[in-house]
Amino acid sequence: MIFLQVIANGLLIGAVYALFSSGLTLIWGMMNFINFAHGEFVMLGMYAALLVALWAGGGPAVFGAAAALVLFVLGVLIYLALIKQVMRGPMLAQILSTFGLALLLRYAAVWVFSPNFVTLPPTALAGTVNLGGILLSVAQLVSGFVAGALTLGMHLLLTRTAIGSQLLAVAEDRHAAMLMGIRPDRMQALAWGLSAASAGIAGALMAISFSFSPEVGGTFAITAFVVVTLGGFGSVPGALLAGLMVGLIQSLSAYYLGPIYKDVIVYALFVALLWLRPQGLLGTA
Amino acid sequence: MLLSAEKVAKAFGSFKAVAGADLHVDKGEIVGLIGPNGAGKSTFFNCIAGDLRPSEGRIVFDGVDVTNASAAHHARLGIGRTFQVPATFEDMTVLENVMVGAFLRHPQRSAARANAQRIVEMTGLAAQSQQRARSLGTPGRKRLEIARVLATEPRLMLLDEALAGLTPVEIQRAMDLVREIHRLGITLVIVEHVMEVILTLARRVLVFNQGHIIASGTPQDVVNDPKVIEAYLGRGHGRAAAKPA
Amino acid sequence: MRWLWLALGAVALLYPWLVAGTGSAAFLQDMGALVLLAAIGASAWNIVGGYAGQISVGHAMFFGAGAYLPLLVFQQWQLPPLLGVPLGIAVSLVLALVVGAPTFRLQGHYFSMATIAVAELIRIVVSYSDLLGAAIGLQGPAMSVHWWDLTFRSAVPYYYIFLGVLVLLLLVTWHMQVSRLGYYLRAIRAGERAARSLGVPVRRYKLYALMLSATFTSLAGSLYALKTGFIDPDSGLGILVSVQLIITAALGGAGTLLGPLLGAVILVPLQTATNTWFGGSGSGLTYIIYGAIIVLIARFEPGGLLELWHRLAPRFNRRPEDSRAA
Repeated sequence: MIFLQVIANGLLIGAVYALFSSGLTLIWGMMNFINFAHGEFVMLGMYAALLVALWAGGGPAVFGAAAALVLFVLGVLIYLALIKQVMRGPMLAQILSTFGLALLLRYAAVWVFSPNFVTLPPTALAGTVNLGGILLSVAQLVSGFVAGALTLGMHLLLTRTAIGSQLLAVAEDRHAAMLMGIRPDRMQALAWGLSAASAGIAGALMAISFSFSPEVGGTFAITAFVVVTLGGFGSVPGALLAGLMVGLIQSLSAYYLGPIYKDVIVYALFVALLWLRPQGLLGTA
Repeated sequence: MLLSAEKVAKAFGSFKAVAGADLHVDKGEIVGLIGPNGAGKSTFFNCIAGDLRPSEGRIVFDGVDVTNASAAHHARLGIGRTFQVPATFEDMTVLENVMVGAFLRHPQRSAARANAQRIVEMTGLAAQSQQRARSLGTPGRKRLEIARVLATEPRLMLLDEALAGLTPVEIQRAMDLVREIHRLGITLVIVEHVMEVILTLARRVLVFNQGHIIASGTPQDVVNDPKVIEAYLGRGHGRAAAKPA
Repeated sequence: MRWLWLALGAVALLYPWLVAGTGSAAFLQDMGALVLLAAIGASAWNIVGGYAGQISVGHAMFFGAGAYLPLLVFQQWQLPPLLGVPLGIAVSLVLALVVGAPTFRLQGHYFSMATIAVAELIRIVVSYSDLLGAAIGLQGPAMSVHWWDLTFRSAVPYYYIFLGVLVLLLLVTWHMQVSRLGYYLRAIRAGERAARSLGVPVRRYKLYALMLSATFTSLAGSLYALKTGFIDPDSGLGILVSVQLIITAALGGAGTLLGPLLGAVILVPLQTATNTWFGGSGSGLTYIIYGAIIVLIARFEPGGLLELWHRLAPRFNRRPEDSRAA
């Protein structure tokens, strides 16, 4: 019974990992760019939820929407002000740009919010539910399903809609896309908005269940790196599968080996992955 | 037989860029590869250069199987190549660019520098030797790429559209350089769109279309081959050419 | 250019004596030693991050290895801390291989991601390891008992030891720069595909650069531990250690010999100043400023202040001379 609970918890948090990682893999696939500040986007989503909860009230849906909106705008702005230009520059500039941004966002948040851990006030999703003997927190249950649905939604957006195919066209071949009348710049800005929004919503969802501080971004960033590497370059379905796997592995390790192994196992998995199968689950060698 | 490529094929997913091509080059030859865009000649070229691993087939260079060898290994064995879009080291000077090539055979800096200097002079870049590569125009960059590869002392040189985008005067100068390289005993395989170059320099020409080699022979033969005309200009033209005058 | 290095050398050699007469001699001498230490770490990062263009954002792992091993052998086994220095280097070399060997075959991003992940992994493991002092950390000799404790009360002996190591590192870097290794690394940074086509064994050379860099970063960590006599997971392995190394090199000019030195001379006093003026909350502000500086460098002048100088004052320099020694 406990075993099933551990599995369920792992999958539920894994779905949230999948959500924010899908944003990272979108940018990677489209622009061959790794956003080292992605973890901070998640963290900002958490604080957006906090601010909404404190000032405006409302339920989790409101937090999520607010986080999505704020982070979407932030993502677009960051693209226009910074990323667009460094893309043309040397590797040093590209990597340092988001690395520096991560630092800036993290310590600005420390400055504004203090380094202490905070929690959201209780929401309508408080409490637990008993599903056939397994005890699950309502909040985590809902978060997991919402995250999973949104990740699938991202995949559908990319593969089934007109705007999605435009995004993919730019990812495939910028020049060809331009010749077809697609504006790569606009599409890339949109992608950054979507990427940041996915991180923001994931953050808001996690904020409902967990306490957080401005410094949690670092761990989420590395988790995202593991998930996108495992899931394969640019693959949203890969990120979904990998996210679930990472959540599961984390949950099982925490239970069987001890809570300190929660992150250690994931990071060690990353190193093993780089040695043995860097193309990930679904990639070709 | 310096280079022998047999039944080389390269597929990207389900797309067969090269569907079985053969190439045999003897020492001292100049062989041309032509064909419309997207015909597969660049992919084939990159397979021979070691940049891509062929999905099928075998490539042997001077008795050594290089089918799966890395690009660096190719260079060490004596196969050099230039790039369609010049890939010079922008922030390094002309001399430094060539030195990178020279270091392959001369690990000591003074020897590498001396050899590079010699090649810079030979290729007519002496005046710009202290300038950064990024300050050169396209013809200069193409020339620099050739100089850089020459410094690796190749026995076979693969030129990828080295004369594209040059003015007629620059083309003449470049062709002189190619002839000079040939005189040094280096075997050449040239991918080109500029017909004048192929007709003048190449002894033998292979024509690519849709992943296959559709014709091979002397430049004259190939240019009059109906299949070749059809590949470039479409149906109808080929038949027109086949009709007696 | 030679006159510049001679002038720098003279100032560096005489600095402790020059400030000895002032009211805050001890403070200034200490800061001098810290500037040199920062210069060593940044110059070490520069080898792989600047010259080879492989951006490590987890160099703290090498610094930490170098810092922990001397204090470990002292605190746990009562051996001279100096014995830990080569051990730190050995551990760092192993880490360099673990991180570099698989990732240098792949796109650049993988290496950067791996450095951050491995550095964090080690930090967490160390913070739970009792042998390594867990969260409390390790301590060095409280008083100088033997000469090999390298425990001095004044900063001046440390200053000269650090100066010696820095000079050694600069000589090694300069020698590398004009050798085949240097040319190959610059070629790799400028264009890997072209470098490969010229016979450059890309992966192997990246590993050489990383291993050389790791060695000196480890040494910097050891020097830090010997001077401060204390190390814990945050001061030795935290992300801010990596940040410090990167920003010091990048601000001055990554990929140049002088850049990291310039960065150190600017940033160490700056950090001391913000810590003093803003007190406890100062350290938070420092990192906001650091983040902003890094973003600005990336966005406007990836070549750092030296590149800015070359662009704005071409009259004062014929051609980039400090690093382009053909």
